[in-house]
Amino acid sequence: MTSSIPTPAGLQPPENAVALDMMSREQIQAKIQFIQTALDDVLLGKHLQIKLSLACLFASGHLLIEDLPGMGKTLLSHALARVLGLSYNRIQFTSDVLPSDVIGATIFDKKTDTFRFIEGPIFAQLVLADEINRATPKSQSALLEAMEERQVTTDGQSRKLPEPFFVVATQNPSTQAGTFALPESQLDRFLMRIELGYPEPAAERELLLNGDRRQHLQQLEAQLTLPQLRQIQQAVTDIKISDPLVEYVQRLVAFTRQGGEFAFGLSPRGALALLQGAKAWALISNRTHVVPEDVQAVLPSCVEHRLRESADFTGHGGGALAQKLLAKVDVVA
Amino acid sequence: MASEQNAGIAHQIPRNSLALLMIAQLVVIVPLAQHISLWIIVVCLFCGYWRTQVYRGRWGYPAGWVKTVLVIAAVAGLAASGYRGFSLEAATSLLVLAFALKLLEMKTRRDAYVVIFLSYFLISTAFLFDQTLLLTVYQLVAAIVVTAAMVGLNQLQTRVRPVNSLRISAGLILQALPLTLVVFLLFPRIAPLWSIPVPSAASTGLSDKITPGDVARLGRSDELAFRAVFDGAVPAQRDLYWRGLVYSEFKYGTWTQGEPLDEISLADAEAKIHLDAEEFSYEIFLEPTQSKWLFSLDTPINYSARVALLGDYRLVNPEPVLSVARYQVNSATGYVMDHTLSGAMIQRETALPQGDNRRMREYAKDLYYQVGGDAQAMVQAMMSHIRNQPYVYTLNPPTLGRLDSIDQFWFDTRRGFCSHYAGAVVFALRAVDVPARMVGGYQGGEINPLTGHMVVRQYDAHAWIEVWLGNKGWTRFDPTSAVAPARVESGLDAAINDEDRAALSFLSAARLGREGLLTQALRWADSLEYRWNLWVVGYDSATQIDVLKDLFGSISAWKIGLAMMVGSGASLLLVAVAVFWRRRPQARHPAERMFQKFCRSIRHPRLRRLPEEAPLTYLIRLEKETRIDLSDLRFQLQRMLYDPDYPCGPLQRYRIRQAFRKLRFKLAFSTPTTAS
Repeated sequence: MTSSIPTPAGLQPPENAVALDMMSREQIQAKIQFIQTALDDVLLGKHLQIKLSLACLFASGHLLIEDLPGMGKTLLSHALARVLGLSYNRIQFTSDVLPSDVIGATIFDKKTDTFRFIEGPIFAQLVLADEINRATPKSQSALLEAMEERQVTTDGQSRKLPEPFFVVATQNPSTQAGTFALPESQLDRFLMRIELGYPEPAAERELLLNGDRRQHLQQLEAQLTLPQLRQIQQAVTDIKISDPLVEYVQRLVAFTRQGGEFAFGLSPRGALALLQGAKAWALISNRTHVVPEDVQAVLPSCVEHRLRESADFTGHGGGALAQKLLAKVDVVA
Repeated sequence: MASEQNAGIAHQIPRNSLALLMIAQLVVIVPLAQHISLWIIVVCLFCGYWRTQVYRGRWGYPAGWVKTVLVIAAVAGLAASGYRGFSLEAATSLLVLAFALKLLEMKTRRDAYVVIFLSYFLISTAFLFDQTLLLTVYQLVAAIVVTAAMVGLNQLQTRVRPVNSLRISAGLILQALPLTLVVFLLFPRIAPLWSIPVPSAASTGLSDKITPGDVARLGRSDELAFRAVFDGAVPAQRDLYWRGLVYSEFKYGTWTQGEPLDEISLADAEAKIHLDAEEFSYEIFLEPTQSKWLFSLDTPINYSARVALLGDYRLVNPEPVLSVARYQVNSATGYVMDHTLSGAMIQRETALPQGDNRRMREYAKDLYYQVGGDAQAMVQAMMSHIRNQPYVYTLNPPTLGRLDSIDQFWFDTRRGFCSHYAGAVVFALRAVDVPARMVGGYQGGEINPLTGHMVVRQYDAHAWIEVWLGNKGWTRFDPTSAVAPARVESGLDAAINDEDRAALSFLSAARLGREGLLTQALRWADSLEYRWNLWVVGYDSATQIDVLKDLFGSISAWKIGLAMMVGSGASLLLVAVAVFWRRRPQARHPAERMFQKFCRSIRHPRLRRLPEEAPLTYLIRLEKETRIDLSDLRFQLQRMLYDPDYPCGPLQRYRIRQAFRKLRFKLAFSTPTTAS
């Protein structure tokens, strides 16, 4: 890098100076492609899920991964943290985890004769909340404030969480034993919910032949600096939307509010999440504007966990509802 | 059991509707309050209080026997209230009482509907008394409140929104306006099938009896008597004698009209008019008088067909004037009333009771002898007597005795207003067998500069005399002009003294032009009211027939029926269009419209677009199925639809349209190539 402004001796420009890390559009695209390839290498045959989870994080949203044990949920979240260059903490939820185990606690320090706050595992840029639905509602709700306000309050004092702050939570299907289903209010705080599903036969064969992919995890290098991640997040916000597209989103939302089979309609936060997800998807797909295909691509992940069938109020009918929503609502007015 | 309870709740009156219902009741009773007894209002308020206590759970609904007692007490109270027969006031009082008592048994929705429909009925009842613009506007608001109560009755229990109910009902009333106009214009005005009880005579205004001895109440009210619109010249102030009543009989100190004379027609009127005579054409909007008499200037020779002219040259309406009456008159000043007088008429116009007012009789005989038996000279002499002696014009004359009131006035008190002077002169003339009579009506009038019509108010009421002078016919004299010339020259304001003026109400003072700004405002309100009378209240069956004749040539039942149907249809269509317009779909993107049009034109089932297929996805499929290269169109359409920065001007639109047209053409000659 050449600069006409002379730098005073002994003063190095800070490492993450904005000028240094500013990427062009093409560079952003190249970075995103590279990150996807790197993740594909760790998690075999899950290209769509990887793309969705990247979209979720680029859209500054929290991600919920729901699947059976042993499908690679933890691997995905860990890989995401590494590749995005984020500090990473993992909280393993069980039924006896207490809020202070998540947030941290104030203890008395004998040496200094003062109280000192010991930060809990939530003080990290990417927090993996593993098997979140095994925790009691009390501990689950400790995450609530953190996710929405990006701060925690203990002993009457609010503490800022690091920037950026992502929660990637995994959960077992709620029908399994020993689970406390997340309430709607908490589900609504996740921008997307994805399922990993069984691997393709070819991917599974590769997995079986070449052994555990966890070693690849160690070789993963951080691909983004913090300013670069911020720049990508800003690029998502700058993606353009046209009137016909907003009207399509509005028609989708209106359909959930009017249709008889929906227990309740999508909230404005749900609509915003859908649009934000679609924007991130458009960026990953290398577009400057959102097209209906983007909305359709992220719609199941963005709305499934927010919808309930009116026939089965507590059940998991969201998937079928999202498909119905896609099939019934006309893309063009 | 549970379902029974639920059913009970469903039939209950929702809270916001109950409040609106009670407000509505109050609102519709207010305009009737001045026509009914005070105790009925108290009963209304008490019933409202009782119902509120029932709602709060403090009191219970009245038991059956209580209700019976209340009804009997109400009817008894009405009977004791001293209404004359079954008058309109009595009927209204009964209605309002029943309406108020209904509150006490308003439990279910059905009761609430009864109250609502009664409220509409009360709204129309108020128009029997009064049809002013102010009342109409008020009743419109009342109708909105009543309708809002009905709207509230049909709202969900959980959504209590009184303001919203009001807004909805205002919208409903507004939607009814076009149909109202059509019905107002076209629906035949049928004469009432049964006779409506007539409201009792108003306390102000002219009376068909004048008793000089009584304390005068005349001359102070600023209420409107009538409005007159002159077509062409307006007579001078001193010539504005609006004749309405002729008092031909004097008995027991009271002037009355006597036996009514027969109707006459002026078929040969033209022949009897002096050549230099002026003629005035005018239309009158008479406020309700509850009587048949109408007002006109001397002498009506041409008038609306439905009014009649009586033998004493005054106009009468076939039935009492209950709403604003509208009639057209042409008056000729030169017309001679009665060249000759029949014996019966002479007897009628010279008749006096025996033995009263002896001094006046003496005085009259002496005077008649002095002036040499000339009636006109005698009138002049009496007027100069008034002028020269200390007579006083006042609105507050002292009370006089019953039988010798004329003697007392003429010789002792010498204080009085128009009818005292007129009565005295007529009495004197009759005492020497000269035919003479007192005439009552209004003198003067004020032009409203805003609309140019003349306003005549109750304080313009006046009495003067007519003396029969052989071939000159009945000739008008005004004895009051001798004592207060200003009264005739420039109206009441100039004539009254300070003492009388102090007694005038504030509004009367303003009407007389004494309160700058307020006078202006009153004039403005008056011209508004005048237009209201002209266009709305004055649109009676005769005017309607004229208008319909202008519109359709001749009138027949089927034509009116057809016009009604077309008119109502059009007005309903208007409302429908307005509603549809408000809910019209948002303006669509031009590219979206073209794309949708193209999609609809595709007939082949396999090529048709599915709703979930976005334009790009669809065009790619179409490309695959038909092997037609669409990359240009795809790119353009996608950009136009979804890239807000992409230009979407006429040129681009034209290109897209052309591309679609070409594609449609190609598709018509190709079939899907993919084998199924």
